[in-house]
Amino acid sequence: MITIEGLKKQYKDVVVLDVPNLFIPKAECFGLVGNNGAGKTTLFRIILDLVRATSGKVTIDEEDVSQSEDWKWKVGAYLDEHMLLSYLTPDEYFEALRKMYRMSDADLSLHLERFHELFNDEILGKKKYIRDLSKGNLKKVGIAAALMGNPEVVLLDEPFENLDPSSQNRLKKLILNEIEKSQITFLISSHDLNHVTEICERIVLLEKGVVIKDIKEKELMVNELNEYFGT
Amino acid sequence: MVLQLIKLELLKSMRSTSFAKSALVAIFLAFMAVVLLAYVLLLGIVLKDVLEKVVENADAYTTLSSGLIYFFLFEFMYRYFTQQLPVMELERFLHLPIKKSKIIHFLLGRSFISPLTLIAPLLFGPFAYREILPRFGDTAAISWIAAVVLTSWSLHWLMLWFKQKFEDSLTGIGIVFLVLLLGAGSNYFGWYNLGEIIKPLFDWCLTSPIPVLVLLGVFGGLYQLAFIYYSNNAYLEDLSQEENIRFANQDLGFLSRFGLAGEFANLEWKLIIRHKKSRTYLMLAGFFLLYGLIFYNNPQYKADEGFSHLFVFVGSFITGIFMLQYGQLFLSWNSANFDFFLQKREGVEALIKGKYLLFIVVSILCLLASIPYVYFGWDILLIHLATFLFNMGLVIHLVIYLSLWKPKPMDLNKGAMFNYEGVGIAQFLMIIPMLVAPYVVYLPFALIFNQYIGLAALAIVGMAGIIAFKPLSKISVQRVLDNRYEISSSFRQEI
Repeated sequence: MITIEGLKKQYKDVVVLDVPNLFIPKAECFGLVGNNGAGKTTLFRIILDLVRATSGKVTIDEEDVSQSEDWKWKVGAYLDEHMLLSYLTPDEYFEALRKMYRMSDADLSLHLERFHELFNDEILGKKKYIRDLSKGNLKKVGIAAALMGNPEVVLLDEPFENLDPSSQNRLKKLILNEIEKSQITFLISSHDLNHVTEICERIVLLEKGVVIKDIKEKELMVNELNEYFGT
Repeated sequence: MVLQLIKLELLKSMRSTSFAKSALVAIFLAFMAVVLLAYVLLLGIVLKDVLEKVVENADAYTTLSSGLIYFFLFEFMYRYFTQQLPVMELERFLHLPIKKSKIIHFLLGRSFISPLTLIAPLLFGPFAYREILPRFGDTAAISWIAAVVLTSWSLHWLMLWFKQKFEDSLTGIGIVFLVLLLGAGSNYFGWYNLGEIIKPLFDWCLTSPIPVLVLLGVFGGLYQLAFIYYSNNAYLEDLSQEENIRFANQDLGFLSRFGLAGEFANLEWKLIIRHKKSRTYLMLAGFFLLYGLIFYNNPQYKADEGFSHLFVFVGSFITGIFMLQYGQLFLSWNSANFDFFLQKREGVEALIKGKYLLFIVVSILCLLASIPYVYFGWDILLIHLATFLFNMGLVIHLVIYLSLWKPKPMDLNKGAMFNYEGVGIAQFLMIIPMLVAPYVVYLPFALIFNQYIGLAALAIVGMAGIIAFKPLSKISVQRVLDNRYEISSSFRQEI
């Protein structure tokens, strides 16, 4: 699904990301962990072609992300609030996306139905612009937007951050449900080891831009990560 | 899709917290544009007669064709200072399945819808109809006007590329200066005659379609240049380039003497030199120091006695341009961290006082830097001194008071590309009160008594304002304090 080859990102002399080889197969739930500044968000941004790679390339289904744009149809992402149109209400935002993804009204309501529990009646039908939402609600809008248009790959940066505990649980259920039901490849970065180890079957640990651990056994995950982070 | 983008853009401006202000500015600018374009059209209609009157020995066509290059050099200049670059919050669309190229074509296309686009056709269209059509036939007229309009429109794309690439650099200012020199070199100093060199190109249009085809190619090529440059830079890192700390530790030490206000002035100074937009303003202030050269030695403004009344405007412009332009966005500069100041004891007051301090310092620097104009006569120095005092005593309060009306949040940290934060026509709006205020004081005295009394009046009013600095600045401080909740929430709103 996603192949990373010889990827390097440099700002002047400082190498912030150096991933010689990484393959993420279809329908895998891929967790990315690491301390602040490890390069998690940069990696996501390069995958989304929001930032140029200094060398190397990322391909999604054989398609080099920096060379074409067709892959954007099958990739959904929410990294930060800059991806939202803050001057719209959530309803209007979903409506705008619906047109961009060429979905029908019924598709949209079906899609939003899945988020009913997560939204907790605070998002839809409210006369409030996105810019006035709380951080947690912003995140919910972004995640629901990222899952629109039947993506094959979904990238979420710190999805659990800023959510209240019950929303965290609901989100976790929602993602697990999606994994079970559809063939979505999830890429999730998180500081929250509990959640990410629960959802993901594979965890990659980044340190200063380098992959230092690639753990695929569920049993080992928690211990290895706790050991690394000293928790 | 394009419709969708237009709709989103509209919604964005309508829901902005400063919609009322932007709308008023837009209406005013649109009104000005219509008036100016009407004048341009009028001039176009009588252009033939004017040229025949002014240059008696030659026919209108020859005069115009040999002068066209100056028009284009001039166009280059006014485009540089007034043309807005296309702006969009690109990061909100980059990850969606919309082709980048589509967005950029949309942006470029939108930028083309501008009054500047109409100037060349309105000015030269009637001329082609009245002069060229009867003399050289219809194909010649069409081909000539096409060549002129295409040249003007090519400049549009060239400027999109040029401003984006060079605005924050001395190279840009250098090139603009070179263009000025190119015109002046042939005009004033008579080194060569630029008009005569370019004229054959336009003459050729009368007999052959080749130049039009070539210019069409140039037009397309420059569009392509702008397009490629914009699409190659449509990346987040260009959107928010991390500035390397070029300017480490550069406090203006003496400011610290003024207590908290001085500290804040120091912070503001750092803000200015560390952000592209504010830096551009500072550079512009430097550039406008040269503004006097256009007027002071221009024979057209030579008065038999004393000096031209216009010089009062030039003087206040030279000594106050930074204050005017920077001050116009008074609080917006701090929109990202306004709460920081709110939360400090007497923070808001100190913030505003600090800004006053900074304006005064920069204006003093401008005044000092303009001293060499004495070369054109002592009058100039007097004018500068009087307007400087007037600026410091009165205009400063006026600018700040006006700018406090619905300040608009501004994200300085977004980088250059697609978030054009440079100089456009809107930044020159503040000139209007500035233009009027000094004349309200100066003209009555100058006309009834004499010009020097007028200057003295300016200076006295200015000094009175300086003496009354405390109560006057209190008005602005109070205004911010009274509206602090509204301001702070409007700044917080737009992410």
